[in-house]
Amino acid sequence: MSFISAENVKFSYDEENKNVLNDVSLTIEKGEFVALLGHNGCGKSTMAKLLNGMLTPDEGVVVVDSIDTKNEEMTYEIRSKVGLVLQNPDNQLVASIIEEDVAFGPENLGIEPSEIRRRVDESLKAVGMYEYRRHAPHKLSGGQKQRVAIAGILAMEPSCVVFDEPTAMLDPNGREEVMRAINALKEKGITIVLITHYMNEAVLADRVVVMDGGKVLLQGTPREVFSEVPTLKRHCLDVPQATELAYRLIGAGVRFTDMPLNVEECVSFLEEVLG
Amino acid sequence: MNVIEVKDLSFVYGVDTPFEKKAVDNLSLSIKQGEVIGLIGHTGSGKSTFVQMLNGLIKPSSGQVLLEGKDIWEKPKEIRKVRFKVGMVFQYPEYQLFDETVYKDISFGPRNKGLGESEIDETVRRAAKFVSLNDKLLGKSPFDLSGGEKRRAAIAGVIAMDPDVLILDEPTAGLDPKGRDVLLSQIISYHKERKNTIILVSHSMEDVARIADRIMVLNHGRLEMLDTPRAVFSRVDELESMGLRVPQITRIMTILRGKGYDFSDGILTVGQAFEEVVNLLKKEGKR
Repeated sequence: MSFISAENVKFSYDEENKNVLNDVSLTIEKGEFVALLGHNGCGKSTMAKLLNGMLTPDEGVVVVDSIDTKNEEMTYEIRSKVGLVLQNPDNQLVASIIEEDVAFGPENLGIEPSEIRRRVDESLKAVGMYEYRRHAPHKLSGGQKQRVAIAGILAMEPSCVVFDEPTAMLDPNGREEVMRAINALKEKGITIVLITHYMNEAVLADRVVVMDGGKVLLQGTPREVFSEVPTLKRHCLDVPQATELAYRLIGAGVRFTDMPLNVEECVSFLEEVLG
Repeated sequence: MNVIEVKDLSFVYGVDTPFEKKAVDNLSLSIKQGEVIGLIGHTGSGKSTFVQMLNGLIKPSSGQVLLEGKDIWEKPKEIRKVRFKVGMVFQYPEYQLFDETVYKDISFGPRNKGLGESEIDETVRRAAKFVSLNDKLLGKSPFDLSGGEKRRAAIAGVIAMDPDVLILDEPTAGLDPKGRDVLLSQIISYHKERKNTIILVSHSMEDVARIADRIMVLNHGRLEMLDTPRAVFSRVDELESMGLRVPQITRIMTILRGKGYDFSDGILTVGQAFEEVVNLLKKEGKR
């Protein structure tokens, strides 16, 4: 059975923001890395909040590890299974010392102090911030803050982490740092849902889901999804530049084998074409 | 004509403390009236400190900023006038919206400039048009707008001051691809019409490549490069060693060039790359 399954989910905030999600069905398997794409207002962030029970569907059901998110008694259980990392790192850090910040989650779960110590150290090591454990968060760069926020989630030992545009406010270095941390979580077997506008991040996923107008428009492996260049462009989404170049060359009559998704693939694609 | 000249400009934070840091280190350069300058550099390279000295928000530790040939700190009491001429859009400007309606918010600047009511009205509407905010939105509370609209409303507030030099600090950060495109096109068409000087601070090389006449690269507070986008982006290795990332397409074409393919240096867009590849294929077809 899927780790998370959403079936025919509908959701409206109020009269003015009706059907933000309009009949979405989506499953996420254990250990999978899923990227969720779509332009602003397509319902991605709403979907993220439904995945850990921050919001519950008006119609349809969301089931996390066999628990219906509408079951209020199980809310804490669901949130400890599915962690959420948001866009702005400044809004997610609460303590004045980094290791205390990371300990905040497990402390609230009532975990033994020695176990908290172990989890805090391990989480900070996983995101490469262990050396900074006694620093104050406000002196860190955006990428570092975001990694501390990820460690804070990690310390609660969730099975799944949902990232809502975690790199949108970061510089290119910060973005790479955070993507490395996300990959490290994936290696540990944690299920990842990544909402992003950066196509170069989405190509790292096992599966890409494209949302539009509160519905799932497309899904498949990155290569399947990014081969649909015209559909993506029509819905105001980008493709990686490597893919776009290949796509335009194919339009000009160039033959190819596989659609390139990154620099290395595009270089070998062009070497093949140019001989 | 040079609208801004910077001579031996330096700024040091936290003088005589353990945190003393030279954020801007002996910069000299001049910017011509009507130019679009792209300013890039990794976090902490001194970009923000530099632009804040251009409109007198912070005072240089040493050196001078000349605006139309005059040192902006010559009469410190008149520094406010400099800020009317050099307008600054900060990062995430939507957090600075404050008034009851979008209209009132945009009119705040022109009103403080001392314009008359009819002039204010004209200025506000023109600024709103530049950023494609329609009349219907002007009566709304800024907090009821979408993220992209808020960003544009905040930018309109600065445009309404009709600055001769407009500085935008990361204007597209956090927007989706479409939002980025729309905002950049608006800045380009605003510049075409108003013909003022624009300084665009950005991490996004793609954005900067699209809009700038010249690009300045800061690293550890020093000016490393100031040249055309093509010339700057042909120095891929140097840029990467400063922690900057060139567009994916530039990297692809640079690698192929290194492998001996006959491509131009400093290719920045997919369109350019496409033409180069097609031309090369044609040439080879003829052989």
